[in-house]
Amino acid sequence: MKKIKLTIEGMHCAACAGIAEKELRKVPGVKEVSVSVTTNKGFVYAEDSVSEESLKKAVAEAGYKVVGVK
Amino acid sequence: MEESVEAREIRGWKLKLVWAWVLTIPIMLIMYSGMVFGIEIVPMKYMPISLLILGFPVIFIIGWGTIKAGTRGFFKLRFSMDSLISMGTIVAYATGFLAFFELTQDYSGVSSMIMTIFITGKFIESKARGQASKEIKKLLELGAKKAVVLRGKKEVEVPIEEVGVGDIFIVKPGEKIPTDGVVTRGESTVDESMVTGESLPVDKTVKSHVIGATINQDGVLYVKASKVGDDTFLAHIIELVEEAQGTKIPIQKFADSVTNVFVPIILTVAVLTFIGWIAATGDWSRSIGVGISVLVIACPCALGLATPIALMVGSGMGAKKGILIRKGEAIQTMKEIKIIVFDKTGTITKGKPEVTDVYSVLKKNEASVIEKTAALEKLSEHPIGKAIVEYGNLSKFKNVTKFKILRGRGVEGVLDKKKMLIGNTALMKERNVDISKIKEVLEEYETGGKTTMIVAEGGKVIGVIAVADTVKEESKKVIHYLRRQGFRTVMITGDNERTAKAIAKQVGIDEVIANVLPEDKSNKVKELQKRGMVAFVGDGINDAPALKQANVGIAMGTGTDIAIEAGDIVLASGSLRGVPQAIVLSKATFGKIKQNLFWAFAYNVVAIPLAIAGFLHPVIAEIAMALSSITVVTNANLLRRKRI
Repeated sequence: MKKIKLTIEGMHCAACAGIAEKELRKVPGVKEVSVSVTTNKGFVYAEDSVSEESLKKAVAEAGYKVVGVK
Repeated sequence: MEESVEAREIRGWKLKLVWAWVLTIPIMLIMYSGMVFGIEIVPMKYMPISLLILGFPVIFIIGWGTIKAGTRGFFKLRFSMDSLISMGTIVAYATGFLAFFELTQDYSGVSSMIMTIFITGKFIESKARGQASKEIKKLLELGAKKAVVLRGKKEVEVPIEEVGVGDIFIVKPGEKIPTDGVVTRGESTVDESMVTGESLPVDKTVKSHVIGATINQDGVLYVKASKVGDDTFLAHIIELVEEAQGTKIPIQKFADSVTNVFVPIILTVAVLTFIGWIAATGDWSRSIGVGISVLVIACPCALGLATPIALMVGSGMGAKKGILIRKGEAIQTMKEIKIIVFDKTGTITKGKPEVTDVYSVLKKNEASVIEKTAALEKLSEHPIGKAIVEYGNLSKFKNVTKFKILRGRGVEGVLDKKKMLIGNTALMKERNVDISKIKEVLEEYETGGKTTMIVAEGGKVIGVIAVADTVKEESKKVIHYLRRQGFRTVMITGDNERTAKAIAKQVGIDEVIANVLPEDKSNKVKELQKRGMVAFVGDGINDAPALKQANVGIAMGTGTDIAIEAGDIVLASGSLRGVPQAIVLSKATFGKIKQNLFWAFAYNVVAIPLAIAGFLHPVIAEIAMALSSITVVTNANLLRRKRI
């Protein structure tokens, strides 16, 4: 298990955070997600095999952009 | 930098705002000057085409972000605020073409106005959101940027990133301590309020732990870095606060489920409204106008933002005082709490023994008893020994020979050619030391829950030193306050009944559960839960299961370390005063959330029917919408008025 912190740009309202969460949850290996519209941060708990790329893609799918990964 | 996303967004909205108004003001002049001033800036004939030309960049260039996200939503069946605004503005803009054929009234100018007001609202909202995250941002910027490090014998100033574990850095008075570490040389007091919320400066000497980002006050400190970068106390606090923002509060679930279906419902309602109006009046212009009003007045944003924005303001306020909300849920549960359970050691008490009484057989000879005892105990590593040495606070110690630790019983040695024996009753009996003279003293101390050390010199008792884990200064006051607030207070401990009762009496706690093994604490919490919701206050390391079992777990930090994994709320300062503060803060924040949700719902419940009934012009509708989400954010900011 690992924890990844994403900085996400482009979310205007709380519904956006929900959409981003939904997409991130779909990524295989992702266990827990919490995205905050107020801080533009997303915390993902996932198996070690999950790549940053797949998370970025999921966020892009939701219509937003990952600008930072930690 | 971390916070640039938000700053960039505000800048983005600002740029859009300026250009949108630059184009929309002429649009408004063209539309209304004839009506208001009787002057036609553009001949009537050319009005529709000029509105379409001026309006195009407003909707499709400046508003592209919204239009793109909104129309994308239609293809993916994932609707948001943007979907409503896109549909509203595109339909309105399209009427500009229909107007050529005089099929309907021209709403294309209105379309630009809607987009511009929407952008203005977003700009104001993003500013207010920035305001709401003020405290959290301050936390992010708290860390030191530079450090003065000892390289060989030279003092070199380096950027903070270059400080490694084990480096010695120098902190002068008034300077920020660059990172966590242990003092190797020097003495000073340090202001830790910005990180732990503890308002009194803390004394630091050799071996003291210091926290990065706190301010050194009067002496020069040489500190060996123990943690850097993401491992520091401050970094943990920041992460904890940031992560908490995305956690869900139960009350929000309803709002979220409404938000999820809200937009599709509104889209349907708008279409039905339009059809209804056509059927009833046959007036295309009017029907389109009403339809647009319905689209743009609905405000899922206010609903969705009501909870997280209040949580953000609340947790920011808490962080400033060293109260870290880890789980949003805790602030809702807090108002249901009936019983507060405190762990004894380290929570109600300081968690380390201190000398409470010194008794001397000879009158006024206490200082000598301490002096002699300290000389021996200096050589022992036992916590009780340390407490005696600390209490004595001597600069010189007498020479002791033939020192020996008698495990579990005491110590012995020779001092000034006399044989010294320090220890418990068992030891005295073993060495045939007569303790009948001090029997009463021993009894008195032991009933008070204290541990006694008998001091004998040359086979005769010369005094008794009582040691106890003393209660924190604030414990009594805090527990008194909580009881007055109607909470049932309970203390749980592994100590025996007598010691536990003595402490309980000192702080005035309602109920004591003694002789509890550490692993049984969570079971005791479970039992108490049959009587009502339970909050557990304890340290995050030994009490983790009990913290988890409780409805609200409040973990006490130890000042330099916080147990991130346990507890719904973490008190960074390790002061019990944080408990009532956390309760007040939770209740105030939750109250604000309820208020926000009420207004957001009420707004939609009132405004949407008014729009359907045709009372609101689309521009008025858009203004109302923008105001409603600004109101929610502003209202959340008002939480700061509450003193915690």
